[in-house]
Amino acid sequence: MALQRASRPVARCVRQSNLLNKRTLATTTIEPGFTDAAPPPPPSAPPSRTRNPLTASTPAAEKQLAQQRQVPVGSRRRRAALASTTQIPFVQLPYQCFQEARAFLREDRQEKLEAIRAQRDKIARLGDQVVVGEQDGEVERRKQREKENRVRSMGRRLAEMKVLADINDPVVKKKFEDGQSDMSKPIYRHLADAKWRSYKRVLLLQRLTQMHVMPDVLPALDPVVSTELAFPTSANSTTSKLRSVHHGDFVPSALAEHAPTLWIQPYDQGTRLCTIVVVNPDVPNVEKDGFDYRCHYLAVNLPVSPTDTRVRLGEVESQRKGDVILDWLPAYAQKGAPYQRMSIIILEQPSPAPTLTSPFGTAAQSRVLDVNQITEDPRYITRQGFKLRSFVDRYSLKAVGADLFRTKWDEGTAGVMQRAGIVGWDVEFLRKRVEPLPYQRMGGERYR
Amino acid sequence: MRPPSTALLRAFSPIWRTESLPWTARGCLAQQTAPFSSAEQRMAREKGRLKTDMRITVIRYHMKHPLTPRPLRFSRNRALRHWTIHRAWRLYQSKLRQSRQLELERQYNSMASACEALRLIDSHGLTAEERSRLGEPEVSEGGREVGRLYRIAMRKDEVWKGVPIEYAKIQTDSPPRDGWNHAWTK
Repeated sequence: MALQRASRPVARCVRQSNLLNKRTLATTTIEPGFTDAAPPPPPSAPPSRTRNPLTASTPAAEKQLAQQRQVPVGSRRRRAALASTTQIPFVQLPYQCFQEARAFLREDRQEKLEAIRAQRDKIARLGDQVVVGEQDGEVERRKQREKENRVRSMGRRLAEMKVLADINDPVVKKKFEDGQSDMSKPIYRHLADAKWRSYKRVLLLQRLTQMHVMPDVLPALDPVVSTELAFPTSANSTTSKLRSVHHGDFVPSALAEHAPTLWIQPYDQGTRLCTIVVVNPDVPNVEKDGFDYRCHYLAVNLPVSPTDTRVRLGEVESQRKGDVILDWLPAYAQKGAPYQRMSIIILEQPSPAPTLTSPFGTAAQSRVLDVNQITEDPRYITRQGFKLRSFVDRYSLKAVGADLFRTKWDEGTAGVMQRAGIVGWDVEFLRKRVEPLPYQRMGGERYR
Repeated sequence: MRPPSTALLRAFSPIWRTESLPWTARGCLAQQTAPFSSAEQRMAREKGRLKTDMRITVIRYHMKHPLTPRPLRFSRNRALRHWTIHRAWRLYQSKLRQSRQLELERQYNSMASACEALRLIDSHGLTAEERSRLGEPEVSEGGREVGRLYRIAMRKDEVWKGVPIEYAKIQTDSPPRDGWNHAWTK
C-alpha cells in the first residue's frame, strides 16, 4: 500500500482545490453526474472511522466494514486502486510534461477560436454585401454566383476550423472512445465519420458491389450516411427485443415478417427529409424467364438528423414522422427460387433550387414530397415492377445511403406468406430439365 | 624466399599487446576486486563455469535485438497522456516550420521589393513618377541613368571569392567524361 500512501497527499490537495470540476480545456458540455474519474467515494479516512465499501481494501478495514454491516464492493485490488487513484480527474493529473502539453494545446485552441470568430465575421460581412450591377444582367448573375461560391467555401473552411479547434483535446478523444459522444457537435461527427469510413463503409460498399445492388437497383451509389438494421423478434416492435443484422446477411423469413428498425446516421449538420425504399430486384418471372422488381416498403418525408437517427419502419405513421405509401411486406422467397436481395435505399429529398445555406447551422434545405401526387401515380403504388430509377428521376432524389439483407425459402416462409395473405405459398419453382445434346454416347471405357 | 610476415599476428601476441584495448575488451582485463553482490561470488565459486566474454555478449545483444522498437503498451490514462503530449509536440513542430517558412517568405519579398525599388530609381534616387511630379525633365542624362544601382546589385562578381570554386559544381551521379578542366579561366 505504498502507492496509496504516496499518492494520498496529492489527491487530498487536488480534492481541496475548487478547480476540481472545472474543465479548462474541453468545450464539451458535461452532465452533472459525470466526471472523468470513477464514482467519487467519500474521503478515505474520515474522523468517525466509518469505512467505505468502495475503498476498504485491507483485512482490518474489511473487518470494520463487516462490523458496520456492509459488504465490500468489487475486488480487493479494485478497491485498493480506487482508494489510491480516483480522486484526481484526468486533466489534472500531476505530470509536468502532460500539463505543459495541455497548456500549449489550450493556447492553440484559443487562437483557433479567435480565427473562427474572425471567419464568422468575414462571412457575415460578405453575406451583407449586395451585388450591384444592371438588373437581370449576365454580369450581375455571375457576380452573385461568385459571391455564393465564396460564402459556401468559407463556410466549409469554417466547419473545418471547428473540427480542428477540438481535435487535440484528450477529453474529447476519451469521450468518443467511451461512446459518450454528442453528435450535435462537429468534432464528434467528424470522429464518427472517420471511424465509419475506415471500415464499415468499406464493408458496405463491398457487399453492395459484390451482390450487384449497384447496377441492378441503382446505377451508382455513394453512401454518406451510415445505416444499421435490426429486426424485432415479435410483432410489437417497441417492446420486443431487436436482433441486429449485418449488411447483406441472410435473415430468416420469420424474423423479417415485421418491419425492421433502421438507424440512419448522417454526419453533417441539420435535419433533412428522407425517403426509404426497400426494393427486391430478384422476383422470378416465369413468363419472361427473368427477374422483376418488387417494392416491399416505401415511405417519404422522414426527418433524419445526427442526433435523431432511429426510424422504426412499422411506426412511421403512428408516430407522425413521415408518410408511408407502401407498408411493410414481409420478405419472402418461394421454394426453389434462388435467394433474393432486399436492398434498402435511403434517398435524400433535396430542395429544387439550392438556396444560399447559412454556415451558422440552419438545417439542410429539404423538399416535402406531395403524398397525394405520388399516390395518384399508378407506377409508384404497385409493388410489382417498381422501378426505383424511375422514382428517383421523377422526384429528383439523391441516394445517400443503403443497407442490404437477403432472404431465401426456409421453414417459416410458408407461414409468413399465409399470414400476410400472399398467394403462391405452395408454389415450388423447379429447374427446367436440360435435354442432353443429341450426340452419340461413347462407350464407358474411354472415360476410365 | 622470404618468410611470410607476422605483423598481423602481432595483435594476438601477449608480448605486443598494448594498453589501449577496445572498450568492449576492457572489462575482460580489469578485474573487479570487491564484489558488487553475493551472486557474483557464488557464481565464481561454481567451478567449471565458463565466463562469457563481454564481446560475445555485445554481439549476441545486437543479433537478438531487432531494429524495430517494441510497441508501446500503456494503460488507458497513460496512453491518453502520451497521445496528448505527442499531439502537442507535433503541433509545436508544425508551428515552428510554418513560422520559419513565413520568415523566409518575408525576407524574400523584402529583397524583391528592394530590388524593384533599385530598378526604378535613378542616380538622384527618384523614380520616373516622382520626377514627373516634381517637374524634372524625363531625359536620362549622364548622371541620372535609371537602374544603375540595380544592375550593380545584380552582378555576380566574386560570389565564390571565399569559397572554393569546386563547391559551385552541381553534384552528378557519375564523373564527367572529360574530367576536370584545370586550365579553365573566365
